[in-house]
Amino acid sequence: MPVLELRGITKIFPGVVANDDVSLTLDSGEIVALLGENGAGKTTLMNVVYGLLSADGGEVLVDGKPARIKSPRDAIDHGIGMVHQHFMLVEPLTVTENIVLGREPGRWGVIDFAAARERVRALSEQYGLKVDPDAKIQDLSVGMQQRVEILKALYQGARVLILDEPTAVLTPQEVHELFSVVRSLVEEGLSVVFITHKLEEVIAVADRIVVMRDGRVVGETKPAETDMVGLARMMVGRDVVLRIEKGASVCGEPVLEVEDLHVLDDRRLEAVRGVTFTVCGGEVVAIAGVDGNGQRELVEAIVGLRRPQGGAIRTKGRDVTHATAREAIEAKISHIPEDRHRRGLVLDFTIAENLVLGDHREEPYAKRGVMRPSVIAEMARERISAYDVRTPSERVLASALSGGNQQKVVVAREIGRGPELLVAAQPTRGLDVGAIEFVHRQIIAQRDAGKAVLLVSFELEEVMALADRILVIYEGRIVREFAAGEADDQTLGYYMTGGGGSKLEPAAAAAAETGGER
Amino acid sequence: MLGDIITPDLFASALRMATPLALAAIGGTICERSGVVNIALEGIMLTGAFAGAAITLATGNPWVGVLAAVLAGVAIAAIHAFASINLRADQVVSGTGLNILALGLTGFLMERLYGHPGTTDPVKMIRPLFSLPKPPEGFVGEVLRWVEGVFLSHTPIVYAAIVIAVVAQWAMYKTRWGLRLRALGEHPKAADTVGISVYRGRWAAVLMSGALAGLAGANLVIEQVGSFTENMTNGRGFIALAANIFGRWTPAGSYLASLLFGFADALQIKLQMFRGQIDIPPQFFLMLPYVLTVIVLAGVIGRAVGPAAVGQPYEKG
Repeated sequence: MPVLELRGITKIFPGVVANDDVSLTLDSGEIVALLGENGAGKTTLMNVVYGLLSADGGEVLVDGKPARIKSPRDAIDHGIGMVHQHFMLVEPLTVTENIVLGREPGRWGVIDFAAARERVRALSEQYGLKVDPDAKIQDLSVGMQQRVEILKALYQGARVLILDEPTAVLTPQEVHELFSVVRSLVEEGLSVVFITHKLEEVIAVADRIVVMRDGRVVGETKPAETDMVGLARMMVGRDVVLRIEKGASVCGEPVLEVEDLHVLDDRRLEAVRGVTFTVCGGEVVAIAGVDGNGQRELVEAIVGLRRPQGGAIRTKGRDVTHATAREAIEAKISHIPEDRHRRGLVLDFTIAENLVLGDHREEPYAKRGVMRPSVIAEMARERISAYDVRTPSERVLASALSGGNQQKVVVAREIGRGPELLVAAQPTRGLDVGAIEFVHRQIIAQRDAGKAVLLVSFELEEVMALADRILVIYEGRIVREFAAGEADDQTLGYYMTGGGGSKLEPAAAAAAETGGER
Repeated sequence: MLGDIITPDLFASALRMATPLALAAIGGTICERSGVVNIALEGIMLTGAFAGAAITLATGNPWVGVLAAVLAGVAIAAIHAFASINLRADQVVSGTGLNILALGLTGFLMERLYGHPGTTDPVKMIRPLFSLPKPPEGFVGEVLRWVEGVFLSHTPIVYAAIVIAVVAQWAMYKTRWGLRLRALGEHPKAADTVGISVYRGRWAAVLMSGALAGLAGANLVIEQVGSFTENMTNGRGFIALAANIFGRWTPAGSYLASLLFGFADALQIKLQMFRGQIDIPPQFFLMLPYVLTVIVLAGVIGRAVGPAAVGQPYEKG
């Protein structure tokens, strides 16, 4: 008998059928991957199971018996736990406080913190999820926070664990650890629903794969019976190119020259420690590295969002070392920021307004300081169709779009502006394969048009798919350079984690960087 | 002259002045910890003060007046709770509206009930809790005079405020209620997903802040002034909000911050008595508590970070 069964779940939002007669079973001790693009209805379905949304039709059965789940409390009482994509943790509280929240041990309303801590310690030992019970959530890494979330569900007595896009925020190393945690949970008798849009993860971890598209279940398979290409086709509904074909790069004049650049981070520590490189017209140069090795500060310095401490930045021979963001735009530098919500878009603005940002004071969009809505709207409609943004109109708020469409708006603005240099930071973060393919095509199109592209990515897959040259950054220094196809992911991973350059003395580092110059 | 200024009486007065601020500030702390900004503290305090005066005048029993003040505070807070929790109104707008309402309503009711604006007849006041024998002369007597003057000369609500501060501080960090309250203001959805009712928790917190601000009004009228005057709270609700921030959203911190503001107020009154000897216009002394508020809020305390979700209405799903 399945521990969890969904029969004909239907959920309708105004104008959208998010779940259309969805049925699903989960057997005891099984890992089912729920695969689908962003907006396919995976999370909606699981929110129904967890009592955060009420279904318009269908029923949920737990251990073969119909379960009335009206709130998360009901779901917890039925042994269902959920780890949300955006963690449901209270940052200033401790690990223990977060785990016991809602079911605090104690009497007369007074919490028995000693007992609580003991329970947390016992659970964390039983499942091999090591974590400091007294640490505050805000001081923990994302991977650690996720452990706390899992422990929280276990503390509440979960036998079925729903993981919503659990790898979206993790580093490759943390993903690896998560997979082994999931396997040990199953060994301890839990059953797991694993929501994702990443194909390789599904194949790595799932016992069974259920694919959703447009609110429906469109197929079911097992990892042994399929491959990435087959899964991608099932998920998107058409053939998807997982790796863009591209010709050899035709290198033109240097467009971006960075020379001995030093940049401080927000804590006033040196994050970029003397970086030198060049990007030519017609090539994609990728900065590969683990998050937090100075990539963010490097990008911000180039696009005028952060003042370098020393060194020089030139575009087409023009000095932009101390350019403001506005001067950077005028120097034809475009920037796809890594966080589209915080930096890429103003979520409360319409698509049209977002598309004109940065050019809003220029002709023809403005005249004598007054914006011209009809011109802007026309431009917006053109770009919406050129960049395939799925929206009923340019007057829709950016916040109403799915992640993939939001990113298309950012790409449309930054590339539509006609830059000489495109700085793309994590341009496909959180996107599904269909949208990734689109963004990758746009980046390659820029390169083929003779423009320079600087790509920053934590995903080796992406780096190797797009780059003509790869610069590995570690602790604020470029430690190695590879030509496309010269390094596999193991070699890159080795240098990214300090393998070749952790003990580099400044002189040696300088030598390595000079070696990286053309 | 310094000896004339620094007397037991000055510190006793500071404690008295701090009491309405502290009660309202602790109310504000509880409210904001749940995620609701309560800018209406001023209006609630004023309404409480009026209800306290009116009911004491009508019944002749100041304790009934205190109860009325608390209930009136709860009633106004209920409007704020309904608007900002259920209707998801902008909490600053709702609070500002209630402040204006309280000012108008108390003025209107003055005219209707007593036939004149301004100040009511004197109300029966609550006396200090302890009646003390006159201390003897000499050093021992001097010490006793300080202890009695500063600590033992007060009315019941002054002591109640201290007890409330200690209990609330303990409850916020040691009890189920406190943990859930803190979760509500930081990440209501996280609380919701573990089965804590956001609406119920916030309602309770807003009503509690209403009761405390109402009690502050009662203290003002029934223990300190002895009659109600239009707009007699005179910005105390806002200073209480500042004290809440200065106290870093903790009950004990709110109390101590209120004590500082209370001291400024007491000092200001004291200095006015020496008007002849000090060549500074009295208006400058009057400014003291407010200037202190500005200085404190403008950065002496560094960056104060409040509850993350404060001011944001919660919508399920």
